Amino acid sequence: MGIISHRSGEIDVLLQGNEAIARGALEAGVLFCAGYPGNPSSEIIETLIEASKELPIYVEWSVNEKVALEAATAASFSGCRALVSMKQNGVNVISDFLIHLTLSGIKGGLVLVTCDDPSGVSSINEEDARAFAPLAEIPLLEPSTPQEALDMTRWAFELSEQIGNVVMVRSLTRISHTRTNVKINDLPDFETTPRFDTNAPFHTFPVVEKHKKRQKKLDQAMEMFETSSFNRYKGPTEPELLIIGSGCARSYATEAVEILGLRERVGILHLGTTWPLPKDLATRHLRASERVLFAEDVDPFIENSVKALAADLGNELGTKEFFGKASGHIPSTGETSPALLLEVLGEIFHISWKNSFYREKIAALIGDATPPREFGFCPGCPHRGSYYAIKTALAWDDRDGFVSGDIGCYTLGIFPTGFSQVKSVHAMGSGLGLASGFGKLEKFGFDQPVVTVCGDSTFFHSGFPALVNAKFNDSDILLLILDNSATAMTGFQPHPGTGTNAIGDRVEPIDIEAVCRSLGVDVISADPYDTEETARIIYDLIKRTGPRVLVLRRKCALVQGREGGFPYKMRVDQERCKGEECGCGRYCTRIFRCPGLIWDEPVQKAKVDEVICVGCGICATVCPHSAIIREEK
Amino acid sequence: MTVSPNPEGQSRLIEEIIDKGICVRCGACVGLCPYFHFFDGKVVVMDRCDADTWNCLQLCPRANPEGDILNESGGIGSYKTVTMARATDKEIRETSQYGGTVSSIIISGLQSDQIGSAVLTDRGGATSPEGRLARNRKDVLDCAGSRYSASGSLSILNGCIKDGEDRIAMVGVPCQMEALARMRELMPDGEERYGRVSLKIGLFCTWALDYRQLDAFLKKEGVKDPVNKFDIPPPPSEVFRVQTQGKWRDFPLSQIRPFVQKGCSFCQDMTAQEADLSVGTVEGIEGWNTVVLRTDKGAEIFNEAIEEGWLETQAFPEDNLEHLKEAAQNKRERGKKSIIKGVRGQAWE
Repeated sequence: MGIISHRSGEIDVLLQGNEAIARGALEAGVLFCAGYPGNPSSEIIETLIEASKELPIYVEWSVNEKVALEAATAASFSGCRALVSMKQNGVNVISDFLIHLTLSGIKGGLVLVTCDDPSGVSSINEEDARAFAPLAEIPLLEPSTPQEALDMTRWAFELSEQIGNVVMVRSLTRISHTRTNVKINDLPDFETTPRFDTNAPFHTFPVVEKHKKRQKKLDQAMEMFETSSFNRYKGPTEPELLIIGSGCARSYATEAVEILGLRERVGILHLGTTWPLPKDLATRHLRASERVLFAEDVDPFIENSVKALAADLGNELGTKEFFGKASGHIPSTGETSPALLLEVLGEIFHISWKNSFYREKIAALIGDATPPREFGFCPGCPHRGSYYAIKTALAWDDRDGFVSGDIGCYTLGIFPTGFSQVKSVHAMGSGLGLASGFGKLEKFGFDQPVVTVCGDSTFFHSGFPALVNAKFNDSDILLLILDNSATAMTGFQPHPGTGTNAIGDRVEPIDIEAVCRSLGVDVISADPYDTEETARIIYDLIKRTGPRVLVLRRKCALVQGREGGFPYKMRVDQERCKGEECGCGRYCTRIFRCPGLIWDEPVQKAKVDEVICVGCGICATVCPHSAIIREEK
Repeated sequence: MTVSPNPEGQSRLIEEIIDKGICVRCGACVGLCPYFHFFDGKVVVMDRCDADTWNCLQLCPRANPEGDILNESGGIGSYKTVTMARATDKEIRETSQYGGTVSSIIISGLQSDQIGSAVLTDRGGATSPEGRLARNRKDVLDCAGSRYSASGSLSILNGCIKDGEDRIAMVGVPCQMEALARMRELMPDGEERYGRVSLKIGLFCTWALDYRQLDAFLKKEGVKDPVNKFDIPPPPSEVFRVQTQGKWRDFPLSQIRPFVQKGCSFCQDMTAQEADLSVGTVEGIEGWNTVVLRTDKGAEIFNEAIEEGWLETQAFPEDNLEHLKEAAQNKRERGKKSIIKGVRGQAWE
């Protein structure tokens, strides 16, 4: 039995933050779990999938976040506890349903977990999803450690049921992906039987009454927050500076206070329940200090609500000095760090500290073991072949064409690894919608060819409606579905095209070509490893009109590596290699840039890095002097 | 002459020739490296090169920083004799544009093993006409006839030299013959490369059309099927003829002239004076070719084709020769004027 499904508690186990969230849900007796993969949230559902092999729960990867919340809500409406998880921008996808759902209310505890990614470590945005808590008028909990992540998730179900509404838990990359000892508790008996009470329907009418009710639920939550053990204060009774913080930033502040020896002068109010702000608690602490510093990641969320409270109580509290994002002390973009908090506290207290403290510590630990690297597709990645073919076709066409990109590993097409072909990337599925629009500009004189790319999983997630739109409006859209048969970027989760679902059941795979054909859209397929032929097909498709789909199909190189590997052993014939000379100019290492090809400095020729190269063989067709040799293994 | 380092070689070629639209799509810069392709009637830039040598720029007959490489003898250039010739083979005559002289010489040369292969221009299909390496009679006949658009066929020559091909005949228009001369003189291994080309047959040329513009025009005009043959009959007809599936369609030449490649206006060479022999039509005498024999090599292979029975000849009328020289001289003057006042003149200041 896996530790995550361990029935008896009161023991310490090593858990990742996301595993702790999953365990918290299990300890709350969750029955239905759904989500869409996205870093840094994916391990929550993955952990629950493992647990579902031993515990009577249902887990699914849904086609997108909105459907995940809708599916999970069915369990809640039927009196069972349910959890949905996603990355920060997934909350945008659910938002329409969420705003309505929170008006109708729920029955069984329903917890929405968002894992935010400050600095966009594995995202193309650094959205602060907390903004949806006030918008949807639902309570928000913010853990700062994996232990809190477990405890808060478990409690969130109780809170959800007590107020009859969704509760949001916000994790962060550094919490979700941190591993530490976590004390687990007993698992309950999973004995709820779903039953929908037809006498108590869920809808938003009458709207104003439901809206009032939603706000009452929020007041109820605030009352519970006033005494919640998730909010703690540590420091002198009347500190020179009060730090109000949440999440990682709160931990960093604590560390900075210790390092700077400010324990007797600075107090830290650790807020775990950040929306609605527990007003009495906050007021008590505001009274005790004239100066307040806010430590939180991304938006001035706590900062704004505390300031609003201070304004309301202005007569009583007097003027406070606030340090935070508005004052410029904490940057309003990017992730916080211990070094940042050290700097800010050093400035406020006029303490000089070694700015390079952490940098030196890191350098001493790793030395020069990590050379600088750029974003790159893996060796053997079919996307490299796809973009090479796209680049070739667009260069042949020579009308300044470009790629309208989408979300997946292939987003890296904005970088040299994808020959910088992608000129636009936004939300999932948006590349297709944009292309649908570009495809209607011709009559105004627009003559640049636009190719839009979309992964197989993204196609199902939200690409499909845009393709329907293109068909409906007869737009000149050329969609390349980069089908690598995996949700590769987030860790190979299954999707509707793969033939298995989250819990490993064999299901009938949805045939992308058949879907396109059923829309009346022309569809053909090609091999991204055959870059020349694929480029010709793309060139030909560019010249046609109306909606067209080309499926470029090759397994993700990592999957292929596990399933039998690649056929070739590659080597460079250095006699033939022209290196820097006219006629080559290091084409393979400078333009093609597969990490399996490296520059042999002493002889000034290319060579194959045998450790990195997987043997896909594409580069043999790219070398202008046939110096890259592929031999059957 | 050695090629001096210039890290901006490709950039200059792009900025001053390709981006200005004066590339004549001869293909000289293509096939030597991965950075240029000839595709669908156009020389296109695939990637940016940073090599500190610049063969591409050196070879370009439009980028001419070192001074004109053409010999300045005027008119049709230096020559031994000018004669009239046509194929004796019925199939060649029917397939080719006028007299079938070029096809006959190539087939004769291949059969007598004087040449191993020939770089010709095919008829195109889904994309523009392009160069093809012909090795036998069928290949040659597949390529017979005039295209009136550039084929970039020097890219094929570059490719087959790289692949080790020897005794190659190159059939091309004047700018391509000039590029060959530039290759010999300016590339570090120019002599060696040039040595692989055992015969250069030049085709008379007044200009070539931009294939993509022509193709778009024809499609707009409802010419959907592949074109078997193009023709511009001698003056005063002023028509551009297009044959698809055996049927001719005529367009006023004035409708076609806008598609003439901008770079052709700088050309001073109508009769390919850097070739071993040059071949064109004969004004006023249908079914015959004008043949300008320039070198011993050219005369030798031409005479062999006659001896082997592939060609028959006639004396070239004196009036026609005068007219030809005049026309060639006029083109030379027009080209010079264009250079002085044109884009290229400014480009090299």
